[in-house]
Amino acid sequence: MTVAVLRLAGVTKTFRAPRGGGDVVALSGVDLDVREGEFLTVVGPSGCGKSTMLSLVAGFAQPTAGEVLFQGQPVLEPGPERGVMFQDYALFPWRTVMGNIEFGPYALGVGKAERRGRARELIQLVGLEGFEDRYPHELSGGMRQRCALARMLANNPTMWLMDEPLAAVDLQTRIILQDELLRLWGDGGSAKRSTVLFVTHGIDEAVLLADRVVVMARRPGRIKAIVDVNLPRPRAAQRSSPALAELVGRVWDLIRDEAVRAIAEETN
Amino acid sequence: MSSALRRVATAAQPMIGIAALIAAWQAASVIAANPTLAPPLGAIARQIAAMASTDLLNDVVASLVHLLLGYGCGAILGLVLALLAARSEWFAAILDPYVEFLRPISAIAWIPIAILLFGVGRGVPVFLIFYASLFPILVSTLDGVRSVDRGLINAGRALGASRRLVVTNIILPAALPSILSGARLSLGVAWVAMVAGELVGADAGLGWRIMWYQEFFSMDGVMATIVVIGAVGWLLDALLRALQRRLLAWSPTTGARG
Repeated sequence: MTVAVLRLAGVTKTFRAPRGGGDVVALSGVDLDVREGEFLTVVGPSGCGKSTMLSLVAGFAQPTAGEVLFQGQPVLEPGPERGVMFQDYALFPWRTVMGNIEFGPYALGVGKAERRGRARELIQLVGLEGFEDRYPHELSGGMRQRCALARMLANNPTMWLMDEPLAAVDLQTRIILQDELLRLWGDGGSAKRSTVLFVTHGIDEAVLLADRVVVMARRPGRIKAIVDVNLPRPRAAQRSSPALAELVGRVWDLIRDEAVRAIAEETN
Repeated sequence: MSSALRRVATAAQPMIGIAALIAAWQAASVIAANPTLAPPLGAIARQIAAMASTDLLNDVVASLVHLLLGYGCGAILGLVLALLAARSEWFAAILDPYVEFLRPISAIAWIPIAILLFGVGRGVPVFLIFYASLFPILVSTLDGVRSVDRGLINAGRALGASRRLVVTNIILPAALPSILSGARLSLGVAWVAMVAGELVGADAGLGWRIMWYQEFFSMDGVMATIVVIGAVGWLLDALLRALQRRLLAWSPTTGARG
């Protein structure tokens, strides 16, 4: 139960400032253990390095110092066992819904009949039947998200890395997709759940979904606190529970000052 | 009902431009009253008809052979050089000064050297077409490959794509709109270079035919050949445009319209 499937040890990431000046420290000395099957959400004001953390775990970039270990091995490059869902979905515009979803199995050398069957299952699971042959630009925002979710799931990743995946849709769609995401993850208590690292700027969403909420601070990006969410699952039934509201208030207290400062800086 | 009407109106738009041009030419030829300087439409039309029953096909075929050889080699080399430059910073650094030095030089400036090298014949127009068509597709492809959305590449790698698969299944399709618009630009300048090369350095083709008519002081023939050059050039571009629409059916900008 307490096996850390993902471990960040002293992870620091600096970027060279584009035009002279000093380096920008995006993350500084981040230590984090993520347990197998855990739903971990990450919140923090903009510029706290939460997306940077996700891209280090995905293997898109390497830490400047420290280590990212996945199943005990250092992460050196992206891999299909760590599925990614991007904020802007990053669907391939020249591939249809079907083509996008079967790309992962195709890249891994799965035969055509098998990957088609798998893609069809996923299309049904995310409710995109009838849209198999549409191109991404012909889909609504919510449908693109479902497509991106199905594409991520097609490789059966043991870890889901999700970078603000529900940020760009309206509130009703977001609530529906939150419920669907929880259902797909196994919120009802399924045997084997994937491990989720879910970056969001929605505090309600972070608390609703998570087993633990990682609260980050900025300048430099670091972990400020980790809040346990000991609410019963399935969580869909907890949306209006007072305990949830109280936790949301606690997380908000942790980031309010910094968020206010971040907004003030951005508007300057 | 109104949408059908609008479609007719849209289809008629280019016709309006053509009709205006024809009317203006006819008016000019009447005002000038000089059939050598401004031959009337009837004379040009008669001339085209006469050519169609004699040498026109040979001239068009000769020109298309020049184009095929020069544009084929130029566009393919441009594409290959751009892909190599996109792959290797080192190669790009070597290539860049050559491209930026040679690109602004008109292909026409090379005519004396081309005649010296190849003599009058097929070589001159083919070389000029090759030279002209090399750069637009090269520059456009390189831009396209370099501006491929990093997120799409990351998405592919996270889905398990090998480096080769990333190139063939992500970078190339993502750059295809730029490659195809480069191919169209190249074809446009190739067509211009072809006529220039044939005017002075060839023994066949539409450009050569213009000079032939000039020697007989037949402005009807010159004008008729010019009209044919314009028409065939337009047709070739229309073919590439159709190809573009077909290959980019997925693109929200190109797929829907032209």
